[in-house]
Amino acid sequence: MKAGPDVATTTAVKTIALTKRYGRDEALSGVDLQVPREAVYVLVGANGAGKSTLFQILMNMVRADSGVATVFGMDSAVQGPEVRAHIGYVPEYHVLPYRQSSGRQLIDHVSQYYPTWDHAYAARLVAALELCTQKRIAALSKGEARRLQLLLALAHRPPVLLLDEPTDGLDPVIRNRSLTLLAEHLADAPTTLLMSTHHIHEVERLADHVGILRSGRLIAQLSRDVLRRTVKRYRIEVPAEWEASAMLRAIDIQRSSDRREVRVKIVAEEEVAVERLIQSGAEVREVSALSLEDATLAILAAETGR
Amino acid sequence: MLVNLDPNDVRPLYLQIMDEVRRALVIGTLHENDPLPSVRELSSQLLINPRTVSQAYQELEREGVIFVRRGHGTFVSPDSRPDEEQRRALRQGVARRVLLETRRNGISVDELMESILELVAREDSLASASESPYQDAES
Repeated sequence: MKAGPDVATTTAVKTIALTKRYGRDEALSGVDLQVPREAVYVLVGANGAGKSTLFQILMNMVRADSGVATVFGMDSAVQGPEVRAHIGYVPEYHVLPYRQSSGRQLIDHVSQYYPTWDHAYAARLVAALELCTQKRIAALSKGEARRLQLLLALAHRPPVLLLDEPTDGLDPVIRNRSLTLLAEHLADAPTTLLMSTHHIHEVERLADHVGILRSGRLIAQLSRDVLRRTVKRYRIEVPAEWEASAMLRAIDIQRSSDRREVRVKIVAEEEVAVERLIQSGAEVREVSALSLEDATLAILAAETGR
Repeated sequence: MLVNLDPNDVRPLYLQIMDEVRRALVIGTLHENDPLPSVRELSSQLLINPRTVSQAYQELEREGVIFVRRGHGTFVSPDSRPDEEQRRALRQGVARRVLLETRRNGISVDELMESILELVAREDSLASASESPYQDAES
């Protein structure tokens, strides 16, 4: 059944039990992704964890074996063109079509497909991203191709942005400018942003939701505030014979040479963690917050350890 | 007004922004009717989610510290002189951070107070030695 986009939905991008196999490999298994409307959702995970496959299924460039992927309530597999019309997509690979055309010709061509194309904004992006639009597509460097892909994704001001490692291949200056452009883009119009990255620190303060993919499974999905609240670093003092019990769920245990000072990360609410530490005979000296990147790594480590 | 955010701070970002506005009011870099940076400006400057900035501004507006003039921007309320309450909120924040650092170093509060008073006394005596205000205290 076909229906228009439900732009009032609270969950802009949603997958239910999404599964995709390549031969015997499970690229995605039972993924229930939920991206709230107007969220900045960052998907992290190792290479091959399934991030790009998930994006491709949302774009209906790849078919899932089972499960459903929807954007504003529209099923990607049923309403591919409508779904794609609402998405600005930067793919994993730095490959653009029409390799014999110039950048300018490609921009003009793509703009025809979108009634919402903002020509003035596109011109601003050309300048801000220092794009040389006379160059043939085939002659573009990796970074230049990425910048052009970003422009093509942003300039029609789609309600959803799907950015697969958008800063990959960019030099530090342009990378920083791209992130600034992204922040301005979000401030100018309500947009839901789903992006994958290996550089979580880049989006430390931009991200408000984090999803962690490991071997095709979404092992964690939480808001930034919950993530920072539930993973913290503790500095404790303990008797020399103290050992971290399994129930502490402690990771990255570092211990002084006299064994009395311990630094540890724990995945639990602070009150719970402190209570367990005290019960174990430790004295808590300091509790500190972790960066988004460290908190994410800690969750990955905690899940892998089981 | 410039906003500083500390990545290691446990406070949520919107609270940090709110405290930065209060700080600017108390130290006087922000006055009644002054414009605040726009959500767009602040979010691109700090690479922070615009919704986080909006949240901070909405809370400050609810508290009567700032007000929004549609189409014109956000301004400091005319009656938002840094009052006792704001000073106290700021003071408590500083005290909490100092206390944390004190405990981390295994120092007692009494020892800390003693050192602070010593430092203040030294600064005062330096200030009164007007002929050579830049002289090293140890020499």
